[in-house]
This record gives sequence, structure tokens and C-alpha cells, in this order.
Amino acid sequence: MELKLISTSDIAVFVDGLLKAGKVVVAPVLKQSGKVFFKPVQSFAEVATDYIQTAFSAKEVVFPKVEELFTYQHNEDGSLDIKDQLDRIPETVVWGLRPCDAAGFDYLNKFFLQENPDAYFKARYDKTTLVTISCSKCDESCFCTSVDSHPGDTKGSDILLTAMDGKYYVEVMTEKGSLLITSNSTLFTSTDTLSKDAFLAKPVTHFAMEEIKDKIQNAYASVEWKQASMGCFSCGACAFACPTCTCFDIQDEGTQDHGKRVRCWDACGLSLFTKHSSGHNPRNTQTERRRQRLMHKFKYSVENLGVVSCVGCGRCIRVCPSHLNIFENILSVTK
Amino acid sequence: MKELQIKAAELLENGTVNLLIGFSEDLGKRPVPCFIETSAEANMLVFNQECKNNLSVYLHKKEVKDAVKIGLVANVATLRSVLQLLSENQLWSLTLTYLTVNGAGELVVLSSAEELEAYVQANFPTCRPEDQEMIDKLNAMSREERWAFWKDQLSECVKCYACRAVCPMCYCTVCTTECNQPQWIKTSAQTSGNFEYHTMRAMHLAGRCINCGECGRICPAGIPVHLLTAQMNQEMEKEFGGKTGWSLKGGYALNTFKPGDKENFIK
Amino acid sequence: MPETFEPKIVAFVCNWCTYAGADLAGTSRTKYETNVRIIRFPCTGRIDFMLLIKAFQNGADGIIVSGCHPNDCHYTSGNFHARRRWMVFKSLLDFMGFPTDRITFSWVSAAEGKKWAELVNETTDSIRAKGPFVDYRTLDYTLLTQLENEGIAD
Repeated sequence: MELKLISTSDIAVFVDGLLKAGKVVVAPVLKQSGKVFFKPVQSFAEVATDYIQTAFSAKEVVFPKVEELFTYQHNEDGSLDIKDQLDRIPETVVWGLRPCDAAGFDYLNKFFLQENPDAYFKARYDKTTLVTISCSKCDESCFCTSVDSHPGDTKGSDILLTAMDGKYYVEVMTEKGSLLITSNSTLFTSTDTLSKDAFLAKPVTHFAMEEIKDKIQNAYASVEWKQASMGCFSCGACAFACPTCTCFDIQDEGTQDHGKRVRCWDACGLSLFTKHSSGHNPRNTQTERRRQRLMHKFKYSVENLGVVSCVGCGRCIRVCPSHLNIFENILSVTK
Repeated sequence: MKELQIKAAELLENGTVNLLIGFSEDLGKRPVPCFIETSAEANMLVFNQECKNNLSVYLHKKEVKDAVKIGLVANVATLRSVLQLLSENQLWSLTLTYLTVNGAGELVVLSSAEELEAYVQANFPTCRPEDQEMIDKLNAMSREERWAFWKDQLSECVKCYACRAVCPMCYCTVCTTECNQPQWIKTSAQTSGNFEYHTMRAMHLAGRCINCGECGRICPAGIPVHLLTAQMNQEMEKEFGGKTGWSLKGGYALNTFKPGDKENFIK
Repeated sequence: MPETFEPKIVAFVCNWCTYAGADLAGTSRTKYETNVRIIRFPCTGRIDFMLLIKAFQNGADGIIVSGCHPNDCHYTSGNFHARRRWMVFKSLLDFMGFPTDRITFSWVSAAEGKKWAELVNETTDSIRAKGPFVDYRTLDYTLLTQLENEGIAD
């Protein structure tokens, strides 16, 4: 790990330098609706700074909402062309992640890169460098401190920046991060370890993860699930906004002549998710679907991959039309 | 809100209502939908200008329908949507009691469909000024500018179907989007598929949407989808007369016709 | 050498009037543009608005929708319902900025073979002048293709 400093005014120079070097920079951008989204930018001037959290996560960079797996084209001579985009992924820098988002990428890594790594995810992830900025403020939907993280966590980041009085404290965590710094090394000076505490937000801690991991073992039978899910009407907003939700569908779109196979996001909250072609649906009620979602995040992920798949970003709470609250639900079913 | 809480407790206590759908406050003091079954829980009810959710959407939920006698805390847009649903014969299995607050801040209790109709007609909501402004702005743009606007907006859509889920008028048990033989609407969130989906939805709501604006308000991508149906409703009112969510009799503009309907584009 | 653009026109027509009218144009040996692909429906009342969008998505550059004159519908009122539906649909598409001048609505009776031929010729000329419906086909460009600035394949 390297420790560096960069002045606040040099940040724009650094990012514009990355753009000049031909990298794609994906950063938070304020849109007309007042919401902030991760989008490719052409200059640092487009980057939004005064917001708590983006509407959707940045997982689109490595796990796009619609991903062309391959295209096919029948030619006049009877031959068939099948093409994919795996060797055309550009060098990408994601700028302005929050530590919870970076922890989300850490989970995505664990999920997609198991014994049979997902080639599409890997191709994108290998070309992506994650630059995170610590949180100096939070709102009542943030709960990273309840899920083994905090506003200055370096987990999952290649570089973590913390804003401190006219400068940024730069923690370079990986080889990828190092390469990025080296590209513009004159802007950075070395430093000793500094304390980030005074500059970090203080979100409310609602529970201790160790306690929940224990109590959730018996939560399946809780009668509280019904009340916890009454407001839910089965859309996919929470799953699509979530940085760690990885469920997908594969669809073939095309004609005899040409077409493509795409992978697109799917959500376990949608009623069709588990519907069999016989018409039987093992998770027929919203109660069962909500229970599945929360149990997956707090119990099954721990059993399968050793890590909780909720990062406490609070997006699901913010986007839910009924304001369903994941940490309140977890507390009530583990009472 | 004491009056509301007392009345709600009374209705639950004397069995007029088995399940009351209203609003309570979460830790951040935001109103969230709540579902109460005992009079003891009535003291968590709140009702103010911030309570924007259209709670009538829950009247389609099986867990709610099973309770049969339902109480609904509603603003006037919600009451209008219940009236539309009654005119479409969707709530025949339920006995509904409505609690609302009128312009003078007084609690109003409506116990029958006729009382509901009278109240809605007396307090009929008009198009919200900010929505009208946006519609006028879009109509003043050139066609290319409008296309660019909607293309930009619809490219953000992730097909979460929150707009469909929150709409009280979208109650089909099998939605067109769920038909996969053939795959009528693409499931993936590509812009052309998003365009198809929103066009299809706006057409299915034409002459039925009661302009509560929830679909646009809750869209996680911030797309003002409510403007599509709001503008269409205005056009349809001009061309064919009639208002949605106005009377128990209903009258759907797209399954009737007048031989004298006039247009200027058919050759 | 660049090929001159020949538009693909899809026509949604009702069996009893417009299709018969087109048939009459054929038996009368009236020459008209061959860009049109005719799809036969029992009645214009059967034409779902989604079919029009699907046609554009599958490569149509222009569309003709045509049926019996009002009061002459073989099923009495199918075209009245269709008319209302088209009025609402056109207003929605206009609001979304969709180029509704690529869709031609008309009433063509079984006796109007000449009108059919003229309609097809006019529509084809007009769409040829407008060019391919590139706007719609480029809706789905992903970030990758946008960045690479690929040419439009046709």
C-alpha cells in the first residue's frame, strides 16, 4: 500500500489527464431529474460533487444492464459470423465511488470469479480501476457501519481518497491503483499515515453484524416477514439499484438471419422469477420473495461466499416506492 | 391527526374494518404505507401533504383482499383512483371505508361508493402546475428536440417495472410484458425495448389513468413517465369528452366510438 | 459505389377493402412501387398499435395503415374503433417526438385500386426522400459502440 497526497485543485488535472490518455472515465453526473448517475464524462467539470449517494450503483461498468454476449449473422454464402465484444473493452476508471460501492465490487468479484470465472465480467473487471472517495456526510438510509464497513473503508478499492482541508489523502491499495498514479505522478507527494476519523461521516449503527449472523439462523420461521413485506408490490427497483445484486436473465433477440444473445438484469422480487412453466410458483407470495431477498443477503451469501452481500449503501430504501427498510426488517425478523 | 387515529381505532374496534391501510412515519420521519389490524396500532397513523403514495394499489394484493373489510386513508387522487377501479368493476369483493382530510383540515369519513363519487366530484383534482409546465414545455419543442429528450430519458430506464407495480390501474394478472410466446416486449433494458414498453403502457392506460403521478414520482431513474399519460388524457378529454375517475358509471373512450369522430390525418 | 436507398414499406391493410383494392390495382395492371410488403388483417380494428412499432424495429422505414371507409366496415364498427385508437396513438407518438410522418393512415375501398397505387407511390417517394429510419435503429447503441463510433450497418 502506498500513501500519497494531492491538492484539491490538482484533482481536476489528474482526471482530465486520464481522459487525455484515452481512458474512459465513469463518474457521478447530476441529471435533469435531480438524481445523480454514474456516466462516462468528457471532462472533470461534469462530475457531480454535492450529493449523498447515486440513484443506481456503478455495477453497470462490470455488469451492464444489457450485455451483448454475442451477435450472429448469416451471410449470403451460407457462412455464419459469430462475434463478441470481449477483446474490445476499453480501459475504464470509475471515479467517485463510495466505500460501500467499492465493497460491492469486492462482492461482485467473489461472486463472478469462482471456479468457472464469468468471462464477460472478468474481461470488464480486469480493465477497470476503482477510485473511491470517503464519505464526509450520510443520511438516515446509510448503514454501512452495521455491515462490517465504514465511511473510510478501503475494501474493494484500487485507490481511496479522503478529502482533508485543501488536499486529498490517497491510499493506493493495489497494482492497478499504482499504475494510475504513476501515469501522473508529479501531482502526488508521499506521506506518512494520517488519521481519517475527523473527516468521515458518522452513520447510525443499527446492529452488529456478528449478532445478526447468529440470530438470522432462526429467522426463516419468523412471523414478522408478513408485516415486513406488506408494502412490497413486486417491482425490481431495489435489486437493480443494489451494488451487489447479480441475478440475470439471458434472452435471445433476433431473426433467422441475424440477432444477438443478451444478458440482462433480473430481480428475485419479480413474481415471474421463480415461476415454473407448469404454472407452479414456489415463491408465490411477496412475503416469501422478500424473505428470500433478505435471507440471501444476510445468511445464504455468508454460507456460500463467506461474506454478507449487503454493503449498507441504502439505495434500496431510497428507491423503494413504499420505503421498505432493509435494516428495520432485519431487526424485526431477528428480534 | 388525533381525530384520524381515534376514528381508525373505532372502525377497527367495532369490526367495520378488518384491515386499515394508511401512513406511518419511519425513523427518518418520512411517511411510509402501513397496514394495521388492531385498534392499538392506530396511534401510529399520520396524514399530511407528504403522504403522496397512492394506497389504492394495495387493494389488488391478495393479502389485503383476504381481509374483505378494508379501511383506506386517502388523499383525493387516491379516492379518484378507487372510483375508477369501482367503475371498472375491480373491487366487487371488498367493503371499503375511506378516511380523508378535506381542504379545511377536517376529517371526512366516506362509507359508500355513492358518497365517494360525490366527494371526488366536489373536490376533483386538476393537473399539477409543475406537470402542466413540463407538458407545455415539451409541446413547445420541435419534434427532434422531443425525440432527443425522450431518448435520453428512456435510455436510463432499467425495466424495474416500478411504474407498473405502483399503478392502481395496472392490475392484469398476466401483463403483456410477461408474454414470451412471442416475446412481445423485450425484457432487457435496451432503449428501443424501453420505448416499446412505455408506449405500450401509456396506450393501455389511455382513458383510464387518473393522473396521480406516482409512476413518475417513484421512478428510480427519474424519468417523468407520468407526463405521457397526463398529456394523453388531456388530448382525449378534448377529443372525446369524459373524465377518468369521475363517476361510478365509467366509460372507456377506447371501447366506444362516435361515427362523427373527427381527425385530420387519415387520407 | 454507394447503393441508392430503397425504403422498406410495410402496409397493414384490412382484407375486405384495402386488400381487395390492392388486388384490383393488380388485375388492372396498374404499375406501382414494389417497396411495399402487404400484411392482411380481417379488419383495421384488429391492428394492434404494437405491431406498428415492431415493424419499425424489424427494419421498416415507413408504414401504411389502411382500411374501409367509415360506415363501410365489413364488421360494422371495427374501423371506428381503429380510428379512435389511431388518434390516441398518433398523439402519443407525436408527444414522444416519434416521426409520425413515416406512418400513413388511409381509407381505401375495394373499388379504389387507383387510389391504392397512388398512395403507395406517394408514400414510397416521401420515405425515400426522408432516408432510412436511422433514429430508431440507433437507439440501442451501447456505451461501447458509441465510443467506437461505428457506422450504421444496413
